[in-house]
Amino acid sequence: MKNGPLFFFGLFFALTLSWAGLALGTHAQLGDLQPHYDDIEGKAFPQRASGVASRGQLVYQDLGCVSCHTQQVRRPSYGADEARGWGSRQSVTRDYVHQKRPLLGNSRLGPDLANFGQRAEGAGATKTDLLVDLYNGSQGMPAYRFLFEEREIVGQTSENALQGVAAEGYELVPTERAETLAAYLLSLKQTYEYPEARPYAPDEKQEGAH
Amino acid sequence: MTQTTSSTASTGVSEIDTSSRCALSFLIVASLLWLVTGGLLALLNLVQTHTPGFLADCFLFTHGRLDAMQETALVYGWAGNAGIAVALWLLSRLGGSALRGTNYLVGGTLFWNIGVMLGVCGIAFGDMTSFSLMQMPDYVQPLMLVAYALMAAPGVLAWTGRRKDSTFATQWYAVAALFLFPWFFSAAQVMLLFVPVRGTLQSVISTWYAQNLFSLWMAPLAIAALYYLVPKIRGKVMPNYDFAIYGFWSLIVFGTWMGGRHLIGGPVPAWIPSVALGAGVLVLFHHMIVYLNMSGIGGAGGVVMKFAKYGFYAYLLSGVIDALFSLRSFAVITQFTLFQEAQWQLAFASFSLIIFGALYYLVPRISGAAWPSSGLVRGHYLATIIGCAVLIISLGVAGWQQGTALNDSTISFEAIAAQYRPWLLVASAAQALLLVGNLAFLVNFVRILFVRTSEVSASQFRQPTNLEASSS
Amino acid sequence: MSSQDSHDPRLEQAAATDDSIITAHDKAAEGRPDVDGNYRLIPLVLLFVFSGFIFFGGTYLHRYTGYFSPEIFDERQHAGGPVTEAPQIDPVVLGQKQYNLACITCHMPNGQGLPGVYPPLAQAEWVTGSEERLIAILLHGLKGPITVKGNVYGVAAMPAFGRVAGGGYNWSDERIAAVLTYIRQEWGNTAGPIETASVTAIRERGDRKEWTETELLALP
Repeated sequence: MKNGPLFFFGLFFALTLSWAGLALGTHAQLGDLQPHYDDIEGKAFPQRASGVASRGQLVYQDLGCVSCHTQQVRRPSYGADEARGWGSRQSVTRDYVHQKRPLLGNSRLGPDLANFGQRAEGAGATKTDLLVDLYNGSQGMPAYRFLFEEREIVGQTSENALQGVAAEGYELVPTERAETLAAYLLSLKQTYEYPEARPYAPDEKQEGAH
Repeated sequence: MTQTTSSTASTGVSEIDTSSRCALSFLIVASLLWLVTGGLLALLNLVQTHTPGFLADCFLFTHGRLDAMQETALVYGWAGNAGIAVALWLLSRLGGSALRGTNYLVGGTLFWNIGVMLGVCGIAFGDMTSFSLMQMPDYVQPLMLVAYALMAAPGVLAWTGRRKDSTFATQWYAVAALFLFPWFFSAAQVMLLFVPVRGTLQSVISTWYAQNLFSLWMAPLAIAALYYLVPKIRGKVMPNYDFAIYGFWSLIVFGTWMGGRHLIGGPVPAWIPSVALGAGVLVLFHHMIVYLNMSGIGGAGGVVMKFAKYGFYAYLLSGVIDALFSLRSFAVITQFTLFQEAQWQLAFASFSLIIFGALYYLVPRISGAAWPSSGLVRGHYLATIIGCAVLIISLGVAGWQQGTALNDSTISFEAIAAQYRPWLLVASAAQALLLVGNLAFLVNFVRILFVRTSEVSASQFRQPTNLEASSS
Repeated sequence: MSSQDSHDPRLEQAAATDDSIITAHDKAAEGRPDVDGNYRLIPLVLLFVFSGFIFFGGTYLHRYTGYFSPEIFDERQHAGGPVTEAPQIDPVVLGQKQYNLACITCHMPNGQGLPGVYPPLAQAEWVTGSEERLIAILLHGLKGPITVKGNVYGVAAMPAFGRVAGGGYNWSDERIAAVLTYIRQEWGNTAGPIETASVTAIRERGDRKEWTETELLALP
C-alpha cells in the first residue's frame, strides 16, 4: 500500500480532510457573516474604524504588540477577564468582521486590549495620557521612545507636544505613527451585545441529565 | 554512476554518503549558523521579557519584532535546514542510491537561506505578518516555497527511485513530511496573505498551519530519524513493528486537527477547540505505538543514542501535555501564559534533540572522518540537556504561577511580573547555556569540514553486520 | 552486536546494514501467526485503548461542540437553545422612534393631526378599533375622504408604508407592527398591541392601490 501513488494520495487526502473541515467548513459557516443591524439605533455593528485608527492597526501590527497583548475576551465565568474589566461578554466572530487582520494574540504578558477604548473612555483618559504612557513605559512595558521625536521649536510650539521632557528650545512631539497608534487603541471597543454573544447560564437540571 | 549495491550495503561509509557531502554540508552549516543566531535572538528576547528596558530604544529590536525574528530564525533557519538534511540523507541511504539533483538542492538551499535572511531583516524593519510561526513578510513567502521545492525534490526522487520495493518506517515519515509541507504552506499563504479570509477565520487557518508545522513536518522528520537510528545502532529488530503503520497514519490523520487548542474561549465557534482536544487524545495512539517500537532506545549508549533517547522522552511528554492542557479546565490557567511557551519549547526541544543525535551520526559518514573534539561533543550534550530541562521547567512553573495570578483579578500586572521575574532569570541562564552548547557544536562541525579525506582511513568505521529477522 | 565496550563520542558505530534493516523489518511487519495457544496481548491492548480514545473523543465532541453550530461560542451551551434567537426589541420603543421619524410631521407629536388636513390619532376609532383596517391603511395607504371623530379629512393622501408595489418606504412588517402598537397605547389610547404575523398575513393577500373609506369599512 505504501508502494505507489496510493501512499501520496492517502497523505494528500488526510491533509485535505483537515483543511476542508477547518478552513472550508468555517468559511462556509461564517465566511459571509454580516454586521448586525440594530433597528433601534439605526446602525450596523460592529462599526468600522476610522481611517486614522486603521493606520494605527498597521503600526500595532508592525511593532509586534501581539507578542504581549491579546485582543480577545473570554466568557465571564472562564478566567478573570470580566473581573479585570476587560469585557462583560465573550468576543465573537462578528466583532472582527471589518478588521483586515484581526490581531487576537496568544500571550498575556500585558492586559487584554479588546475593550481598551471603552476602558479609556470610562477612566477619562485622553489621547495625550496614552501618548505619555507610551513614552514613559511602565514596569511591564518598555518605553517606546522611538515613536517620538525631539525637535527644535520653530515658530510656534506644536499642539501635540508632550510637556516636561524636552530641553530648552526643543519640543517632544509624537510621530504620526504614535498618533495613529493611539487613535487605534482608543477605538477598540467590543460593547455591542450580539444575539450569539449573550452570556449563557447553564441550567442546573439540564446539566444533570447528561 | 553509483557503485554496486554490495558495497553500499556492507560498508560504514559509502559512495552514497560521500557524493552528497557538499550539498548536505551546506545545509548543515547553514542550519548551525541559524541555530546560533536564533539562539542569540531568543536569549535577547527572553532577557527583554524580564527586563523590558533592554534594547527598548532600538526600533529594530523592539520586543514584538525580536520575538518574531527568533521564531523565524530557529524554525525556518535551524529546523528547516537541518530537517531537510537529515531527511535527504535517510532517504538516500534507505533508497540505496546517491542523491540525485544535488545541483538543485544546493540552489534551493541558497535561496531558502537568502529567504530566511530577508525574512528576519524584514521583520526587524516591521514587515512581519503577526501570524505565529509564519512571521516572514509577504514578499519572502513565495520565495521560500520555490526554494523548498528545489530542496525537497531529491528526497522524493530518492523514494520513487528506490532499489527495494518494500519500504521502512523512516521512509514513510520522511517522505510524508517532505511531501505535505508545500501543500499546507501554500494553502496558508494564500488564505492568510494573498487572498485573506474574513476576520477570525484567519486565526483558524493560522493555528492549523502552526500545528501542521509541528505535527506534519517537524515530528515526522524526528520520528523518521529515530526509526533509523535505533535499529541501526542497537542492531536489533524493533518490537511490534507490525503496528508502526498504524502509528504513522494516526499521526498524519489526527495530528493536523489539533490547531484549535490555541483558540479555547476565543472568538471562534466552540466546536473548533473541542475537535482539537478530540484529535489531541487520538494522536496519543501514535505516541503509544512509537513507544512500543522504541523499546531499544533506553540503556547505555553513546552521544547519538543519548540525544535520541532524551528527545524521544521529550516528544512523548509533549504529546501528553498538549492533549492534557487542551482540556478547558487546565487551559483556563495556562492559556496565554509562559506555560504555552514552555509547551512549545518542549516540542521544539524534542525535535532538536533527535536531530542533534541524527547529525552526530551522519556527519562523520558524509565527511569520512570522526568528530575532531570529543570535549566539544560532550560539552554540547551536557549544555543542551541541562539547558533544555531548566528552560522548560522554569518557563512552565513561571507560566503556571502567572496563570493562577491572572485568574485572580486583585493581582496587578506589576505584581505578576515581579513574581515570574526570578524564574525568567533562571530561564535566561538556561538559554545562554544552550547558546554556548550550540556554539560548541558549530565549531566542531566547521572543524570537521576542514579534515582532509586523505588523512582519514575508512577503517575507523566498523563493518556492520546483517540484521537477523528475529521473532519479536 | 549491540553491546559496545566504549562509546566514543566522536564516532557512533553502526551495528546493522541498511538493506538488512529494511528486509528484517519488512518480515517483522507481516506479523507472526498465533500458534500453539500463544497469542500476543499487544494487539488486543492497542485495540482496546484505541476504542477507548474513540469513545472519549466521540462523547466529548457530542457534548461540547453544539453540533458544530457557528453561533455557539460557549462550549457548555447546547445547540438550538433560546440564545440563538434574535433579542426581542420592545415594539413601543421602536414604534416611537419610527413615529418620530416619519409620522410626526403630519399627525403631530401629540397625535392631534391638523384640523381639516390630517386626521388625529388620539382616541380615534380607526386607531383603537379594528386591527385589520388599521394595518391595511399603513400597508397600502389611504386616498379620498375619511371621517375620524366626526370630522372629514380628505385633502391629503396617506402614503403606503409597507413592502408593497409602489410604496416608497418599504418598512418591514415588524416595524409596522411596532408603530401601530405604539400609537394604540399612546395619548390615552388603550387598545392592544399588533403582532408582526397579522401584518404579514394581510400583506400576503396581495398588493393593491390605496384604500378608500368605503373599501376599508368593508373589512372586518
